[in-house]
Amino acid sequence: MPGDAMLFLFGVIMAAFLLFMMVFFSSRIILDFASIGQVIMFSDLECDYINPIDLCNKLNQFVLPEMGAQAFLFAMFLINGSWLAALLNLPLVVFNVQKVTNNRHMYDATEIFRTLSIHKKECFFKLAFYLLCFFFYLYRMIVALIADS
Amino acid sequence: MAQQPPPFQPQRPPMQIDPNGNRSPGPRPPMGYRPTGTPPPNPAFRPAGTPPPPGSPMRPQFPPNQQGFQQPPPRPSSGQNGYTGNPPNAAGVRPSFSPGMRPPMPHDRSASPQTVRPHQQGSQLPPQSPVAQAASPPANLAPTPSYSSASLPDGPQSPTSSHMSQAEHQRRKRMYPQQITQAYLDQPSPAQSYDQQYQAPSNPAASSGQYFVPGSQPGQQGAPAPSTPGYGQQQPSQPGQQQPYQAQAPVANMTNQFSNMGFAGGPQQPTGQIQSVSLMGVPPQIQDLYSPPPAINLPPNASITSSPTANSDPSYQRSTMNAIPATEALLKKSRLPLALVIAPYRTLKEGDEPVPVVSDTVIARCRRCRTYINPFVTFVEGGQRWKCNMCFLLNEVPSAFDRDAITSQPADRWKRAELNHGCVEFVAPTEYMVRPPQPPAYVFVIDVSYSAVQSGMVATAARTILDSLDRIPNEENRTKVAFITVDSSLHFYNFNSSLTEPQMLLVSEIDDVFLPAPTDLLVNLTESRHVIESFLEKLPDMFKDTTNIKNAAGSALQAAFKLVSVCGGKIICLQSTLPNVGTGALKPREDVKLLGTAKETTLLNAASPFYKTFAVDCSRSQVACDMLIFGGQYSDVATLSCLPRYTAGQTYFYPGFNAARTEDALKFAHEFSELLAEQVGMEAVIRIRASKGIRMTSYHGNFFVRSTDLLALPNVPRDQSYCVEIGIEDDLKTPTVCFQTALLHSTCHGERRIRVLTTCLPVKNVMAELYSSVDQFAMATFLANKAVERALTTKLDDARDAIVNKVVDMLGVYKTHILGSGSGSTPQLTISDNLKLLPALTLGLLKHDGLRQSSQIPTDLRSNAMNLLKTMPVQLLIPYIYPTLYSLHNMPNEAGEVGENGVVLPPRLNLSGEKLEPHGCYLLENGQNIYIWVGRGVVPQLCLDLFDVKSYEGLRGGKITLPNLENPFNQKVNMIIGKIREMRRGNYYPQLYLVKEDGEPALRLWFLSHLIEDRTDNVLSYPQLLQLLKDRVSFNSTHNRRGPEPENSFFNIYLFH
Repeated sequence: MPGDAMLFLFGVIMAAFLLFMMVFFSSRIILDFASIGQVIMFSDLECDYINPIDLCNKLNQFVLPEMGAQAFLFAMFLINGSWLAALLNLPLVVFNVQKVTNNRHMYDATEIFRTLSIHKKECFFKLAFYLLCFFFYLYRMIVALIADS
Repeated sequence: MAQQPPPFQPQRPPMQIDPNGNRSPGPRPPMGYRPTGTPPPNPAFRPAGTPPPPGSPMRPQFPPNQQGFQQPPPRPSSGQNGYTGNPPNAAGVRPSFSPGMRPPMPHDRSASPQTVRPHQQGSQLPPQSPVAQAASPPANLAPTPSYSSASLPDGPQSPTSSHMSQAEHQRRKRMYPQQITQAYLDQPSPAQSYDQQYQAPSNPAASSGQYFVPGSQPGQQGAPAPSTPGYGQQQPSQPGQQQPYQAQAPVANMTNQFSNMGFAGGPQQPTGQIQSVSLMGVPPQIQDLYSPPPAINLPPNASITSSPTANSDPSYQRSTMNAIPATEALLKKSRLPLALVIAPYRTLKEGDEPVPVVSDTVIARCRRCRTYINPFVTFVEGGQRWKCNMCFLLNEVPSAFDRDAITSQPADRWKRAELNHGCVEFVAPTEYMVRPPQPPAYVFVIDVSYSAVQSGMVATAARTILDSLDRIPNEENRTKVAFITVDSSLHFYNFNSSLTEPQMLLVSEIDDVFLPAPTDLLVNLTESRHVIESFLEKLPDMFKDTTNIKNAAGSALQAAFKLVSVCGGKIICLQSTLPNVGTGALKPREDVKLLGTAKETTLLNAASPFYKTFAVDCSRSQVACDMLIFGGQYSDVATLSCLPRYTAGQTYFYPGFNAARTEDALKFAHEFSELLAEQVGMEAVIRIRASKGIRMTSYHGNFFVRSTDLLALPNVPRDQSYCVEIGIEDDLKTPTVCFQTALLHSTCHGERRIRVLTTCLPVKNVMAELYSSVDQFAMATFLANKAVERALTTKLDDARDAIVNKVVDMLGVYKTHILGSGSGSTPQLTISDNLKLLPALTLGLLKHDGLRQSSQIPTDLRSNAMNLLKTMPVQLLIPYIYPTLYSLHNMPNEAGEVGENGVVLPPRLNLSGEKLEPHGCYLLENGQNIYIWVGRGVVPQLCLDLFDVKSYEGLRGGKITLPNLENPFNQKVNMIIGKIREMRRGNYYPQLYLVKEDGEPALRLWFLSHLIEDRTDNVLSYPQLLQLLKDRVSFNSTHNRRGPEPENSFFNIYLFH
C-alpha cells in the first residue's frame, strides 16, 4: 500500500479518535453544566454532584494529547507534501500554539462558569472541524487507493 | 459654566453664619479656630497677619484664584456687610445673630434641639437610655396599625440563648478596643444617624458652597426662599424627605431600622412619580450619601403576615433596582444593570436586631424548587397547603405549624418567625450535615525570615495572639490550634498538653512536605493552653537573631493544609517576605515601566498557578485561608490574595509595616485581634433562588463557584459582600418576584444553621417606575465589582470606560424615554432624584486607587484596593469611594460630644479643594485611613490644643497618634476619631495621618487625590465629568444609538482639557 493511502488511513483513524474525544468530553462539558442546574436543584445537601474541580482535572488530562495528535497529523501531512490537508489543519495548529504560549489551554476550575460559553463554542467548532477532517481524509484515502490500484 | 449673577445672592443666607448663630449659648467653650489675634472672648482664633475677613467669622477664605467659586457676599446691604462693623461681634461678647436676620432654617440645628433635648438628657447615661428602650416597642408597632397582636414580630421563641451569645460576643468585641468603645454609646445604625443629625446643617452648606449656578435657569435658582435647602427642582423633595427624620429624632432604634427597611420610608417618595434633578452646576448633594434606598412598593397583601420585616433589611440583601422589569426587552432598553448585593453574615452592632432563629427544626420547603417557606407564600385549601412563591407548586403545611409536638398544645402559625421575617435562621437537622459540625480550627503560618523579625511583625503577632486567646471562638472547648513558623525550612511545634514547653520539630525538606509527627501538632486550645502560652511568649526571642532571608510559604501552606484538611478549618498566613523558595516561589516582578500601561493587568493577575490550584484544593476540604501581608518591598499581593479570594478568606495588607511605630503595631494588632475574635461560619454554601423566569448569570466576591447556582465558602467571614448579576429569561407575569438567598453553615458553636434572606420586589412595566426605584449605592457596588473584574480580565482603561459608558447609557435612556426630550443637546443633564449621586460615585470610582489612571500607584496598593472594592459591604464601600471630609477648626459646638446617637460628627463637606482654608484644620476619612490636614496659616493655638506642638512648623507629617490633652478641642477631635474607627462594620482600624499643607509632597498628593471633585492627575473634576457625560449623552441621542465614539480627544476623559 502506498504512503498516501497509509497516511490518510492513519488520518482517518486519528480524526475518528479526536472526534470521539470531542464528542465524549465536549458533551460532558455541555451536558454536565447544562443539566447541573436541574440536577443540583433537587439536592440541597450540596454534595459534590458534578464537581467542576474533578471535571477540570479530568478534561485537562486530554488537552495536551489532543493538541499533540493534531499537530502530529499536521506534521505528517507536511512531510508527505499533502498541502491541502496541511492547509486545512494549519489554523487549528496556530490557534492551539497561541493558547499554549499564553497559558490559556487548561480548564480553570475557578473560572469555568464565567468562561463556559466560550468553551462551549470552541467545542462545537472543533467538533465540526474534526468531522470535516474525517470525511476529507476518508475521501483522500479512497482516492489514493483507487489511484493505486 | 456661568458664574452666578448677583441678583439672587441676597436671598440666600451664607452657610457659614449658621454654626456661629448657634454659638450663642454662653457657657460652652468656643470651638472655632480662626486667624488674627482677636480678643480672647471672641470665639475664633485668627493668625495675626491676615486681615479680618469681610464676611462672617466662620466664612472660608477662598484662595484668590478661585474667585469663580467664591462665596457671595453674605449680607444684602453693605452697611451690615462686615463682621468687623458689627459692634457686638467685634467685642466678642456673643456672636450674635438677630433671629430676624435669618428667619428661615426651620429644620436646621435650631430646630433639632427642641426635639432632641429632652431625650438627650435621658441618654446621658452611658449604656442606653431607658427612655429609648421604652420608646421602642410602640415605635415597633407604629408603622403597622393593621398588624394583629397575634403576629407580633418578635419571634415565637427566639431563643434567649442566641441573645446571650450575642451579648457575649459583644462583650468580647469590647474587650480589646476599650477606649474606643467608651466613646461609642448606643448607636444603632450610623447611616441613619447621619441623616438625622446632619441633613439639616449640611444642607445649607451644600447650597451656599456652590460652584456656580447655571445661567440658563435663573428663575429656578432665584426662586428658593432662604429656607429651602435644595436646588431648583429639588425643592419639593427635600423638605418632604426630611420630615420623617425629624419626626423620628426622639424615637429610638427600632424606627430607624424600619425606615431602613423601606417600609417607614414609604410616604417619603410617592409611588410612580419620578422626581427629576438637574445635575449641572450643583455640587454632589452629599447629605444624601447615607440615605436609605428607595422604598419597595409592594402591592397590598403581597406578604401573608403584613409584617414590616417581611422583606430582609437592605444591609443584608439589596437589589440595584427595587422594581423588576417585566420583560427582558424592557430591562435591555432601560440599560439598568440588575444585580443583588448580599452581605448575609454581617455583624450586629449594639442596637441591631438579632436575626430571629427557628429552633424547632421544622423546615418547610417547596418539594420542587426547594425554596424555604417565607412571608410571601400563600396558604390555600383552608391552610392545609401552601403555594410556593417561586414555582407555584402546592406543598403540605407541616403539622408542627399548628401543633406543638412537645407540649401537645395548639400553636399559632402566624407567630412563626419564618412567616414574619425576611431574614431568619433555621437550626438545621442532621439531614443538612455531611458530617458533624466541625470544630473551629486555626493554623497559623508565621513568617520568621529576617524582614519579618526585623519589622517586629513576629513579636506583635505573637503578643496579639496571646492577648486574643480568650477571644477566639471556643464556646465548647473544641477549638484547635496549630502553629507553623517558616523561613527556608518549616518549624512545627508539639503542644502535647503533658509538656510544659513546646517542642520544635524542624523540617528542612520543603519540596516534598511531610508532617513530622502524626499527632499533637494541631491541639485543643483549652487542653494545651499553657504550652501554647509559653510558646507565644518565647516566639519573639526564638528567631530574633535570624539572618535567613528565605521564605517557603508555599510549602508551609501545604503543610498547614495537611494538618487541617481532615476536619476543615482556617489557615491564617502572616507573610512579610515574598515566598522565594520551595513550592509556589515568586519573583519580584513589579516593573515600574509597566505601571499605567495596558500591560499593568499582567501584574495584577496571579504570577503562579500554584496559589489558584491550592486554593481550589483548600475549598474542597473546607479550609479557608486568610492572608496578612506585610510589605517593606514588593510582596505580590495580587498572587497571594488569590488564596483568600477562592477560599472565602480575607486579605489584609500593611505596606511598610514597622512595629517600632506604635501606630502600625496598633493597627495590625487591632485588626488581627478582631480577625481572631470573628464569629465565623464554617463549611458553608450559598444558594440563591429566584422566581421562575429569573436566572443568576454571574457571581462576584470571595468564594468558589461550585455549580451554576452554588457558591462554596469554607468559611464565612463577617461583613463580606457578594454581588450577583441577574438576568430575565421569560416574561414575568406575576405582580411580584422573590429572591431568596440561603446560607447553610455551621456556626463556631457547633450548630448547623441555615440563614435565609428573602426579598420580594414588585414587577413593573413602565420605564419611569424602574428609574425611580434604582438604588444608587447598590448600583455603585455593582459597578465597582464589574469594573474590577473587567480590569483584571482586559485592562484598566476598559474598566473605566465601562463605568462611564454605563452611566452615559442610563442618563441617555432617562433623557429620551422619561423626559422625552428627544434627540439633540439640551443645556441640562437630568436624572431622577434617587440617582443623583451616581455621577459623584462614578467619579469616585474612576479616581479610586484601584482603578485610577496613574503610573504612580504601586501594584500592591492597587491590588489591595481592588480586593477591598470587591469585598466591602455597601456601608463601608460608599465612604471608601467617596470619602468624608469634616472641618475641625470651625466645627459646631455639639460636634464631638455625646448626643443621643453616640458622638456627634461635624457636618460633612464636599470633597473639593475650595473647602480647604489656609488657616483650617480638616479631617478626611475613607474607612481605611484618617487624614488630618493642617493648613499653612493655622493658628499656633490650634496646634497647641490639638497636637501639643507649639506651632505649625513644629508639626511632623505622617502617621501619628493624637495625644490626649486636657482641652475640649482635643477631646472632641479624639472623640470624633474614636467614633469614626468604631461606627462601621468590618475589622478595619483606620490609621491616622497628619498631612501638612506644605509637607512631604507624596503624602500631600495622596491626601489631595481623595478630593475627587477637583481635577487631579489629569483626571476630570466633577463639573468636567458632568460636562463630559452631557456631551456623550447628547451625542448618543443625536445619533440615536451608541455609535462609535468620535475620535476627538475631547471625549477621552483622561486627557480632557
